[in-house]
Amino acid sequence: MLGYLVRRVLQAFVVILGVTLIVFLLSQLIPGGQARAALGPRATSGQLANFNHLNGYDQPIWQQYWNYLIALFHGDLGYSYKNNQGVTSLIADRLGKTMVLVGVSTLFALAVAIPIGMAQAVRRNRPFDYGMTAVTFILYAMPAFLAGELLIIFFSFTLNWLPSQPPTDASAWAVLTNPVPFILPILTLSALEIAAFSRYMRSAMLDTLTEDYIRTAKAKGASSRRVLWGHALRNAILPILTLIGLTLPAVVGGALITEAIFNYPGMGLLTVQAASNDDVPLVLGTTLVATIATVLGSLLADLLYAAADPRIRLGEQ
Amino acid sequence: MKRHLTKVAVSALVLGSLSLASIGLGTLSAGAKAKAAAKPTVATWAEAPQTPPNYIFPFMGLEYFSVSTINQFQFLMYRPLYWFGKGASPDINLDLSTATAPVYSNGNKTVTINMKGWKWSNGETVSATDVMFWMNMLHGDKDNWADYTPDLGIPDDISNVTVNSDTQITFQLTGPVNPDWFTYNELSQISPMPLAWDVTALGAAAGSGGCARAAYGSADAACHKVFTFLSRQSGYDPDNPKKATGALKSYATNPIWHVVDGPWQLSKFNASGNVEFTANAKYSGPIKPSIKKFVEVPFTSDTAEYNALVNGKLDVGFVPSANITTGTTKATRTGPNSTRLAGKYSLAPVYGWGINYFPYNFGSTGNHGTAGKIFSQLYFRQAFQRLVDQSLYIKKISKGYGIPTYGPVPVYPQNKFTSASANKNPYAYSVNTARKILAEHGWKVIPNGQTSCMHPGTGPKNCGAGIPAGTKLTFTLEYPTGGASTAQLMNAEKSSWAQAGIDITLKSASFNTILGKAVPCEKGKACDWELESWGGGWIYAPDYYPTGEAIFATGSGSNSGSYNDPKNDALIKATTDSKISLNAYQMYLAKQLPVVWQPNTAAALTEIRKGLKGVTPQSPLISITPEAWRF
Repeated sequence: MLGYLVRRVLQAFVVILGVTLIVFLLSQLIPGGQARAALGPRATSGQLANFNHLNGYDQPIWQQYWNYLIALFHGDLGYSYKNNQGVTSLIADRLGKTMVLVGVSTLFALAVAIPIGMAQAVRRNRPFDYGMTAVTFILYAMPAFLAGELLIIFFSFTLNWLPSQPPTDASAWAVLTNPVPFILPILTLSALEIAAFSRYMRSAMLDTLTEDYIRTAKAKGASSRRVLWGHALRNAILPILTLIGLTLPAVVGGALITEAIFNYPGMGLLTVQAASNDDVPLVLGTTLVATIATVLGSLLADLLYAAADPRIRLGEQ
Repeated sequence: MKRHLTKVAVSALVLGSLSLASIGLGTLSAGAKAKAAAKPTVATWAEAPQTPPNYIFPFMGLEYFSVSTINQFQFLMYRPLYWFGKGASPDINLDLSTATAPVYSNGNKTVTINMKGWKWSNGETVSATDVMFWMNMLHGDKDNWADYTPDLGIPDDISNVTVNSDTQITFQLTGPVNPDWFTYNELSQISPMPLAWDVTALGAAAGSGGCARAAYGSADAACHKVFTFLSRQSGYDPDNPKKATGALKSYATNPIWHVVDGPWQLSKFNASGNVEFTANAKYSGPIKPSIKKFVEVPFTSDTAEYNALVNGKLDVGFVPSANITTGTTKATRTGPNSTRLAGKYSLAPVYGWGINYFPYNFGSTGNHGTAGKIFSQLYFRQAFQRLVDQSLYIKKISKGYGIPTYGPVPVYPQNKFTSASANKNPYAYSVNTARKILAEHGWKVIPNGQTSCMHPGTGPKNCGAGIPAGTKLTFTLEYPTGGASTAQLMNAEKSSWAQAGIDITLKSASFNTILGKAVPCEKGKACDWELESWGGGWIYAPDYYPTGEAIFATGSGSNSGSYNDPKNDALIKATTDSKISLNAYQMYLAKQLPVVWQPNTAAALTEIRKGLKGVTPQSPLISITPEAWRF
């Protein structure tokens, strides 16, 4: 197991390095360079040259990348001119907010989707199953911006029950300490996840319930509750665990549409803003975070799978 | 078990609904009580989406130069020497300025400025020394000043600056200037700085930096140290530009930034753009704030800002044009408001002090080396402009909230620079005329096809120098992504140009990509861009006097298309060097078509809470003066 973990960490390191190199090289293709992106259309050639010199952008590319790596290993992700802040500080500010919001939404989605999926499997081909299938298909097909706006129009504009957005200076933990303004964004974010998780759960549960050991457990006198929650769920949950691991990049990467509609600046908007502004240090920073999240998410999925299924031994041939 | 599971699922849904209902009822009850509250003492204003202010020190590079940072943040605390924007005009506003009108003498080579004696919040007087402070910093760090252009304007056209007394300062210039140009474009850049800022460490004695009181230009090294210190207090380290100082979070608590001469003092600031000001009780200006707190609210998108308006969370915001159902028939007349907002807000469009256009690349090697040569032909530019139906686009795309651009001087808002004749379009929309112009110059016009050159040569009825037979009028025009109305405009124009067989290929790219491409050609380097539209043209700020030295003079930094016209250069020089009207310059350039004039959409469709007075008339320089707001 330890060997497996060490191998995965080394692989992750290579992947992350490769991604930063690719993004760095691509950033060199921006017409006008970072100088024009930072200084705008009024910049004279002298101002552009001065900017490039001050920031080392007139050095050879390999030298610039090497300087970037040195800074990176010192925990310095660079400086964003557009925001007049360090990239590390910007990401730290947004990452917490995004992780809590999307994390809570994911947990909420799981809490709703798993019982629904299980109930659908147990009552398959009944009105409840058909009804929930229709609901989940609608949720799955509905774009986030539409879902969000409909919720706002109904609950905020028409009924005046809920605010259309959280306070602009809300901290990351406000989702838990002052949850009311976050109800609509959480519902928007979790709608798609509820649809997806419940379908997976239903399908996995249907497969599991037909297994021999389930019949054996029933034959041995186990209660329905024990059969379902103690035996079937544990096996049916395996695909969901994999999905949880693979949603880690989304938890970290944010939800652009939801952030835009509900005025909640998170990683999604930060990433898109960075790309739109050709803010290369910020693009590199957010890409790095997303890459780490993807690599960790994949590892987490494997570890969870192994924890749930004792037959799986990571690292063994 | 089946029943149990169903119960669990249904119970969760019912409980959730009941929770929402009880929360909603509670919210409703609280909302009703709030309505009975007293007159507000706090005003809230929406920042433009994703453009929070991010720099506090009023001496900075271009990277921090923006309306949101300067006009809507710094100016509230630190008054510029001269304030521009009088009512709805861009004229100088001496009432809100820290000095009386500048006095020109000695053949317009000497400028004398008398300060009014306003006070900083720490008791210092806004004095001539404070102006010298800024000028000395400019002398030593002109490369770090956003609006510096070598050999054009301050400090290069200044031979000396002298502080005559606490209240008087004199500028000696290297040559005569047009007073309007110097006042509106050069003195407009100056922000007096308090002696308390002339330091190189927090807590140091005021003036210990050695910059403010030094004779002009004699303390560059000291001024650079002060500049470096103040920049670091603002978030930027000139000695290590790639490393953040993290100062942004301390703006509201840093004692340096607490010394203000404007009507507001910063009380809260965070990096997300949440900004709060409290009224400066020691403000000397003519209009004292009647509200106690002014709050700037950040937004992630137009949608979020609009939703906040619908909920009544803002006192002043703006409505995206997509939410206006019925437009206006005339830009100067306000049409019906959005139905969701009409009960709570009044609509008030504001037009910026600028022009909209996109450049031709006169040096382009595109279209098999002929693009630049075709653009150089005035007849072609006339035909091209004749196919731009600005009135129609304003009506259909901007819903009437737009102003046509006919030349280098804006025709609206009302201003003293535009002549009556400049309000007429010298190239009114006419497809037939455009076709005729091309045909008369040797082109075989194929509507909705590709017009081609049939008669090459340099005669009056030929295509023009360097344009061989068979050359087609095909060009590529790039425009910025992200704006539905921009895409609509581009497609409408493409269809119009096609009527004369001018085949335009539209491509969308990011705003910064377009800016990066739309640069003057350099010798020895490939230069095949043809037409690039960043969608914004030019805003005359802080160069409020709309002469064209920055954008249309040969070799100027923002002359993207390398337009070169000696007569135009001479006319521009006349407007900067002598007191003449802009008429000759603007009429000449309007007809020469150095760029493709485009409709200028309203800078914002402002929503003002009913009962809130003093917001209008709005400044075309998009400055805000919440001290004038009254509930």
